[in-house]
Amino acid sequence: MNGMSLWWWALPVVLLPILWHRQKREQAKTTPFASARFLPAAEPKQQRVWRWSDVLLLLLRCLLLVTLIALLGDLVLAWRGDTVLVVPGTPPAVVDRETTGFGNAQRFTLPDRDAVTWLHAHEREFEPEARLLVVGDVVMPAVLPRFRHDVVLRTAAAPAAPAERHVAVFSDRADAWRRLFAAADGAWRVVVDATPGARTEVIVWDRPDAPPAGLRAPLWWVTHADGFPELAHTAAVDGMRWADSPRGRLWQADGWPTQDPDGARALFAAWQRLHLGTQPYTAPAQALVPDAAAPAGPASGALRHWLGLALVVLFALERTVTHVRRR
Amino acid sequence: MLVSSALVAHTTNLDLVVRHVLAGLGHGIHAGRERGAGVEFSEYRAYAPGDEWRRVDWKLLARADRYYVREAERDSHVAVWLVLDATASMAEPSRSVDGLTKLQYARVLLACVAAIAQRQGDAFGLVVCRGERAEFTPAMRGPRQLQRVLARLNDAEAGGQLPGADTLRTSLHFSRAPGVVCVASDFLDWPSPLSEAMLRLRRMRHDVRALCLHTQAEADAAFDTGPSYRDPEHAGTVYRFGRDVKETYARNRAMHFDEVARVCRQHDVPLLQARIEQVPGEVLRAWLRSHMTGARAA
Repeated sequence: MNGMSLWWWALPVVLLPILWHRQKREQAKTTPFASARFLPAAEPKQQRVWRWSDVLLLLLRCLLLVTLIALLGDLVLAWRGDTVLVVPGTPPAVVDRETTGFGNAQRFTLPDRDAVTWLHAHEREFEPEARLLVVGDVVMPAVLPRFRHDVVLRTAAAPAAPAERHVAVFSDRADAWRRLFAAADGAWRVVVDATPGARTEVIVWDRPDAPPAGLRAPLWWVTHADGFPELAHTAAVDGMRWADSPRGRLWQADGWPTQDPDGARALFAAWQRLHLGTQPYTAPAQALVPDAAAPAGPASGALRHWLGLALVVLFALERTVTHVRRR
Repeated sequence: MLVSSALVAHTTNLDLVVRHVLAGLGHGIHAGRERGAGVEFSEYRAYAPGDEWRRVDWKLLARADRYYVREAERDSHVAVWLVLDATASMAEPSRSVDGLTKLQYARVLLACVAAIAQRQGDAFGLVVCRGERAEFTPAMRGPRQLQRVLARLNDAEAGGQLPGADTLRTSLHFSRAPGVVCVASDFLDWPSPLSEAMLRLRRMRHDVRALCLHTQAEADAAFDTGPSYRDPEHAGTVYRFGRDVKETYARNRAMHFDEVARVCRQHDVPLLQARIEQVPGEVLRAWLRSHMTGARAA
């Protein structure tokens, strides 16, 4: 039980409207009492009976409370059965081949490669007996994941297509820069564009003057710090200075463009590591043993939208019916 | 043997209760009965159960093979009138003795008076006030009359209100001969047509004796606070008993019955206030002697 489900202890609040809506009856049963005339007359005693007035309003109010508690308690319905989770980009042929034994299972395409994180967040949506199969190029988590369900990983590293990186060069030494980018090999290929566009990832600014104001890119490789006041007060790390500016992140080193291949590789590695992020490994294919003691994932909020909508509608209805009743 | 009020509650045989009550009463009250009576022969009358054997004419039995009783001319023509208030309020039960109501108690006491009157040879009649009517049984003598009166008393069920003043006036027109009028009621309605009739009879020099019945719970102002109450004779209002209204109740009740006692004293009507949980024999004795002592057992 996670902390949020403590809200469900508030469910007895629903009893309040049920009690408030009980009908009042005058106590009809009286005992004859000959000398009653010596008593002061009393108001007929009101007695609440187990019948309800304004049943519609009562239902609305109960529903309103239940919906509110469900929203606060983050209701998660276990509605998914056996499921095949497909990593996006997996070829259908591979999916068909790998889903043996999961013939009648639902197929569900994951939003990204990180199936383990998604499963942790959504595990409560699966029925207790549901079996899960993950197919595709799944990201390997740092530690062995623990799930309450029977999860089978049938993973295969997808052959990564060489990624294109678009670069715009503003330099008098454009050939030197082209040579540098030509040294990029293997996983990705660098395309040098004449003018920066939407796909431009790096702008090389190898000029002493300041760049025009509208020019932006995620990363700038700058050779002259004079045109960029942001670089004035930054310390150098491994011979390179960096700063964040409205134009994008600025890298500046004095020795650029590097002439030797090792320097070029080091620069590309730094680009990959510091700016693009490391490429995750593919998780090995395995069957994870279900662990009943595994912590339930955080609240997924899967129904939050609908519950919120229902809450608004119920509130409006309740106000309307109350108003109509008063008139 | 003294009859307790519990026996009154659980016996439907009024005759039996009357015998027990009168047996417990001793001989003091009716010691002089029949004295002077039967001195002068009046008529023969067919035997009825309850007649004493010594009044049977045996010679006539031998001749006619039937039982006849010698009726004697009496000097006195005292008639005893029993007035029973059987309105709905008389159904008030004793809250401590199961099944005992004011009506049952009044019935037993009036039956005892009737039995005494019969033994003394007096004529006695009955007026039952219930349901805005006065059921009238003319005054007569003899054991048959006793059986008739006991049956009427047994049949009396509590219900309705007191009859109007006109009805009572036409019913109680037995004004010529001097009589004893025994009224058993709860006197919760005062002044009422019944009280006016009592006072009128008293002014006409009848011997009016009133028995005012209470219950122990009324005297102690101790009622269950749980239920809602209603007045059996005046519907429409709901009453509630509680500790907060207990004093008001006791004060109002004392004021009411003080007024009743004052009016009775003023008109020289002996009034006995009794609780129905009291032993009937003692109450009867006190009632019959109340004209001498003026004692009130409340």
